[in-house]
Amino acid sequence: MAQINRQGELVYLRVSRGERRALLQILDRLEPLVDHSHWAHPRAYLEDEDEQEFQRLVGTDLADSRAADLAQVREALESDERILLSTDGAMAWLRALNLLRLALAERLEITADGWESQYTIQEHRRPPLATLHLLSWVQEGLVEALSVS
Amino acid sequence: MSAINELVVKETGAGRKESDRRDRPWRVVVWNDPVTLMSYVVFVLRRLFGYDVTTATRLMLQIHNEGKAVVATEPRERAEVAVAQLHAHGLQATLARD
Repeated sequence: MAQINRQGELVYLRVSRGERRALLQILDRLEPLVDHSHWAHPRAYLEDEDEQEFQRLVGTDLADSRAADLAQVREALESDERILLSTDGAMAWLRALNLLRLALAERLEITADGWESQYTIQEHRRPPLATLHLLSWVQEGLVEALSVS
Repeated sequence: MSAINELVVKETGAGRKESDRRDRPWRVVVWNDPVTLMSYVVFVLRRLFGYDVTTATRLMLQIHNEGKAVVATEPRERAEVAVAQLHAHGLQATLARD
């Protein structure tokens, strides 16, 4: 199983080749869902006029940063190099993993707290829920590694 | 200049009345969602707003239990930047007049 450790200023994500392949497959399947997810299009204002002005100012920044974060994860997974992440790099991973989790949850029609108890243990152990848990595990590991002072 | 930076400086040519209106405090509200990890929310609040663990955890629990929490109160331009940053981290955030 993958290990995530802090090494000085860097975060070391130790993954096997099989785990890299699995994460890449998850990325391949979920990335196309991200831009269509309603989570990817948040509103800043409830009032339409203010929202339009906000969107005009923000422009494509949000979509651009999403694409950059996902590309950074893909590049690391496709490389044969050790995955050593700077703080900024680890932040990009965290944001990307969150996007993937949100997109998958939307596909699963998860809309309310307490959804975990609606599935059996067997369902939690199989895709697609197992995919969600794997992404959670990596995200938790990165948060823990970055939180080490 | 990025759009977020433009948000910060775009008011320099505005008239006094408009400036006064926009300088009033605005609340940055983060909304609950059923998927985002609690530890991630705490981490993002600490990173973006400089909160200690206790404060960030309290706000996260308020978001989780009450559906939303005010995580900052700022002049409008700074509040808009904060919301844009929260959106970039995948959190649902809106602005509301104080």
